[in-house]
Amino acid sequence: MIKDYRLFDITDFVLDEDFIRWVHEQREEDELFWNDWLRRHPGKHLVIAEARRILESLTTSQEPVPAEVVAHEVDRLLQTIRDQQPAPALRRVRSRHTRRYAAAAVILLALAGIAYFALTRQAPIRQVSYAALTAHRQLVENVNTSGSPIRLTLPDSSVIELAPDSRIAYAAGFDSARTRDVYLSGQAFFDVARMPNRPFRVFANDIVTKVLGTSFCIRSFENDTTIQVTVRTGKVSVYTNTSGRAGAENNAPGNPGEVILAPNQRLVYEKTAQKFQKVLLENPLMIVPAEVDRNMVYEEAPLKKVFDAIANAYDISIVYDEDLLQYCTVTADLRKEPFYRKLDLVCRAVGATYEVIEGQVVIQASGCN
Amino acid sequence: MKEGLSQLEASWLQQLQQHSEEALAKLMKHYYADLYNYAARFSQDESVIKDGIQEVFISLWQRRETAGGILSLRYYLLRAVKNKVLKALYYNDRRAGIAPPHAGYEFFHEFSIEKIIIERQISEEKAARLKRTLSLLSRRQQEVIYLKFYQHLDHGQIAELMSISRQSVYNLLHETIQKLRSLWHTDFVTR
Repeated sequence: MIKDYRLFDITDFVLDEDFIRWVHEQREEDELFWNDWLRRHPGKHLVIAEARRILESLTTSQEPVPAEVVAHEVDRLLQTIRDQQPAPALRRVRSRHTRRYAAAAVILLALAGIAYFALTRQAPIRQVSYAALTAHRQLVENVNTSGSPIRLTLPDSSVIELAPDSRIAYAAGFDSARTRDVYLSGQAFFDVARMPNRPFRVFANDIVTKVLGTSFCIRSFENDTTIQVTVRTGKVSVYTNTSGRAGAENNAPGNPGEVILAPNQRLVYEKTAQKFQKVLLENPLMIVPAEVDRNMVYEEAPLKKVFDAIANAYDISIVYDEDLLQYCTVTADLRKEPFYRKLDLVCRAVGATYEVIEGQVVIQASGCN
Repeated sequence: MKEGLSQLEASWLQQLQQHSEEALAKLMKHYYADLYNYAARFSQDESVIKDGIQEVFISLWQRRETAGGILSLRYYLLRAVKNKVLKALYYNDRRAGIAPPHAGYEFFHEFSIEKIIIERQISEEKAARLKRTLSLLSRRQQEVIYLKFYQHLDHGQIAELMSISRQSVYNLLHETIQKLRSLWHTDFVTR
């Protein structure tokens, strides 16, 4: 049965198995399907956003049972069923092969034991360490043992501000023609010199951040549970270092694990869950010249114009139902107001509400006459 | 998530029929947290829960040769655990001289508000209202929500497990979602 999602209301979505799977498991194929569906039905953004919200508020991750407890209970179970095992019922005619069978059985048991161990051992969460990344390489290393950030200039004239307790390493002379690779442990702010043909890559534990020319900050202390990348200007691409090797090329751009990060967005990588999450900064900064802000006074301006101006100034997408809100106008002075205050003022003017989902602002409103 | 067995489950069941203890161990490991969590909705007594789960897997092992008839492992295990735990509670009560309530049981589902705040990034005030709304749900509504959204059973399985009709399952879900809709809707949602 093919479902016609156009006919679905919020409740139908919340109860739909495929929709639930998308929200809960974030599988690649579901992302593709739903994003495509939303592109074809832009009027459904709000219904979907609300359904998502309801679904998310109903479920949080469950309390895990500690692995030792489970292991202990599994042992207890196996012990019980072995004790209950009836004595071998089959008493075959004894043959001189018995001994050989016994030997074969011992080997089989041993193999089973090995297989059991190999199969049940939980796949360790692969975490890539700075030490492993930098081992066996001819690198220049800078370590900041002082109490305040230090400024470094790299051979390509990119500038790095290295936070206390942090270290950074790179090939002497930055001699690779194809890429500029640096290795980070700790926190640093990067202002990267623009070289379109030589991508700048930062290897920070499990993740790789790749840019052409931009400024951004990475926080990746080995003891933190997360790695964070925050973009100030330009765009960066972040992906997981699946091979664990530095300089690996298997992560071509456009691979499923790649996340593109825009200004005012922060990427949080959870090390144990090996998951990325995009969030907006608490106080996004304008990425356009200050004059733009001075023009943000509106009188009876179409809502679209105001939203477009805000979206452009901060490079943050604002999603709303254009048809529904086409008659809305805004009279407001948004000059010098921070991003969220601007949104508040506009929303209040047209009786709308907003929420931030996956680094985007989603507007919810009932329309204007 | 859907009706029917996943490939993995089917292969475990097949191995189980061939007397593989390894398959039994894997099954228990795979479902342990979910079963524990579900059982904890009926009883706070850790030993009742653990023993109940043990018994379920022991009887699965004993009837392993007919395990091929199981259509959904998850459903089978949840139902078995629920029965075992409720039965244990019933006998414990009887032994303690408490008259067990007739055909009824409690269902505790603590919605973790702290987690919602952290995982969903919503305000504390909003979370408090959410908690209030959720705590006003009936015992049956909570169980339906739990089975649907945490254990991913289908409506037919939920109906059977709770001994109610499919229509009641749908109604219970529908009412709950309506309550949540009005909660999110009437409100000025900021991050």
